[in-house]
Amino acid sequence: MVPPFASVPGAAWRHAAAALLLLALATGTCALLDRHVSLTSQAMLYLVAVVVAAYACDRVTALASAVGAVTAFNFFFVPPRYTLAVENREHLIALAAMLGVALLVSWLSARVRQASTLAAESERRARQLSALAAELLDANSEAEAAAAGERALRDAFERVVLVTLDAFGGLRGEDGLTLPVRQSLRCAIDEGAAIGPGTGRWPGIDAWVVPIGSPGRVVGAVRIEPASAADESGREHAVALASVIAQGLWRLRAAAAEREAHAALERERLQSTLLAAVSHDLRTPLATIVAAASSLQAQGERLGRDERERMLGSIVAQARHLGDITDNALELVRLAAGPHTLRREWQALEEIVGSVVARLRGGPCGARLEAAVEPALPLVRGDAMLLAQLLANLLDNACRHAGDGPVRIEATRRDGGVAVSVSDRGAGLSADDEARLFEPFARGETRRAGEGAGLGLALCKAIAEAHGGRLAFTRRRHGGSRFTLVLPLEAQPADPGAATDVDTAVASSAEARP
Amino acid sequence: MTLRVLVVEDDAAIRGLLCAALAAEGFEVLTAVSVSEATALVAHAPPDAIVLDLGLPDGDGAGLVRAVRSRSAVPIVIASARRDEAGKIALLDAGADDYLVKPFAIGELLARLRVALRHRGSSLQPALRRIERDGVVVDLEARRVTRDGATVHLTPTEFALLARLVRGAGRIVTHRQLLADVWGAEHVDDTHYLRLYMGQLRAKLERSPAEPTLLLTEIGVGYRCAVE
Repeated sequence: MVPPFASVPGAAWRHAAAALLLLALATGTCALLDRHVSLTSQAMLYLVAVVVAAYACDRVTALASAVGAVTAFNFFFVPPRYTLAVENREHLIALAAMLGVALLVSWLSARVRQASTLAAESERRARQLSALAAELLDANSEAEAAAAGERALRDAFERVVLVTLDAFGGLRGEDGLTLPVRQSLRCAIDEGAAIGPGTGRWPGIDAWVVPIGSPGRVVGAVRIEPASAADESGREHAVALASVIAQGLWRLRAAAAEREAHAALERERLQSTLLAAVSHDLRTPLATIVAAASSLQAQGERLGRDERERMLGSIVAQARHLGDITDNALELVRLAAGPHTLRREWQALEEIVGSVVARLRGGPCGARLEAAVEPALPLVRGDAMLLAQLLANLLDNACRHAGDGPVRIEATRRDGGVAVSVSDRGAGLSADDEARLFEPFARGETRRAGEGAGLGLALCKAIAEAHGGRLAFTRRRHGGSRFTLVLPLEAQPADPGAATDVDTAVASSAEARP
Repeated sequence: MTLRVLVVEDDAAIRGLLCAALAAEGFEVLTAVSVSEATALVAHAPPDAIVLDLGLPDGDGAGLVRAVRSRSAVPIVIASARRDEAGKIALLDAGADDYLVKPFAIGELLARLRVALRHRGSSLQPALRRIERDGVVVDLEARRVTRDGATVHLTPTEFALLARLVRGAGRIVTHRQLLADVWGAEHVDDTHYLRLYMGQLRAKLERSPAEPTLLLTEIGVGYRCAVE
């Protein structure tokens, strides 16, 4: 792109030629009409040429063409012709007036021209500023924003160097720069003000160095060459671009700081959640185990056989519960580290539901479990262990609150997804409980003390979200609760060799193989 | 003859419990608390099976699995607190026979140990050729599968997959092993093949495919063909 106001080589010559042509044209036209029109009309024709030349050419050419027009008119048409002498005083006054008018017109036209050029230029610059601002809004990283800023500056100026400050006060992008350039950038950053011609600071250098940002909040600097003290609007544009870039960079830094603060808050919440898990959820089963085991140790044979069996059973059950809590805590920490810890592979929900149900069948709730999986469900992409843990937590939760009623797990196809629901006919939840359901350590008022969902449901929700799915709770109409996991449906992988792997009776091909 | 089991475990409490439980089942029990001690015992008093913990004071049990496997086919059952699937899979692929995550029930350990012992020396003995469970009979010799007496029609791929699981009946076969053996080494990462074909096999063989009794899922690791 051509930098504004740059002198185009040969432009002055083209202007002069155009002015000459216009004068020749006016002279020719006047000569053609010589017999039919008066001197006044011919003077007007010359004035037209002067106006056109003044508008189309630069200021010097415009003035020259004004003088030239009056001279040519006098020479060719004012009697005595073909001399510069004027025989009539009236003609002398007319010529003087014509010169005055021509000069005035050319001066005014040149001003209009300059004003409109300036207006077009400032409009272009304003458009560039707003385009840059829009581009910076889309930038996702500081490097992207700096690159967009640099591109815009290069559009507007010839040579541009842009550096940004890193977190340690170093200059990013200063490699390969000469010492004077680096010093000028550093100076602009330290002073927080532009330096270079016309700024009152470092007027000797052939560049403007503009800090990006205001004093105290400088995030970088930009050096622009060449620069002249006279080009005030160019300097203003450089400063304006720098301030737009600064706003873009500030926005990104503020967003990053906000994310960091949010992550810190999440970490803190996780920490308190885990502390609460240790202090309450782990202590409860531990208390049962210690009480039962120490009773068996101290009282031994004095306890009845049934009593001993019951205690042993509760030791095993509570120890398993401890194991579950530990697993949940571990997975919650793993998920908090980010979704990259997920091992996502194609999974069949039939398998995951099946293995979770198989695990619980042997337990106290086993007989009350009902499982139904719609045949030929699409595969889902997920972490099998985590999905299994999610369903196990839901089933475990339902079993503990279902009373003696059945607990049903059902996997079905949904619009745009696959759903697994776990339903029970337990006491259900109050509206207040419902709101806090997925918070760690929320417990239903109606539940027995000490048997909380604890980390379980919070982990379930975290797992669902890490898979791009969601976990919803619904109160069932005739009592009970239903949790529904919905996983998004993804484009299914290709069926391996479905065309060649034809359905044949294996028995009939027995002789084909040894 | 009494079978000799080597328990490699550095935690005294668990070691004591395992010894007592195994002795109660009639095994002769040897114990080791480190990789070096275990290596020496394997060389001088070859056990019939090894129960191995992973994090040992002088090294990782995984190295021991590879070292033992390079010289003998003695069954190795891992008993570790590590529950990440990647580690489990690596050990099973390295030659471990089974993997139990702590905490586990003693009954579960004994069951897995019995299965592993039955496969002892499987490189010398012919692999399992025929199994029968819940009305399903798989006869690899005759390439015949029946359910309640009726022939079940399987595709060649379905049969190959089933045969691979039946030959290792009772043991976990990892996804990678199944994919390599049935589809070829270039397909070891295409786990979705397994999901699709296991689904088809279960639909043909299981009474309730969502709750299989023959073709069991080892979540995140592989599959196991049930025995007994």
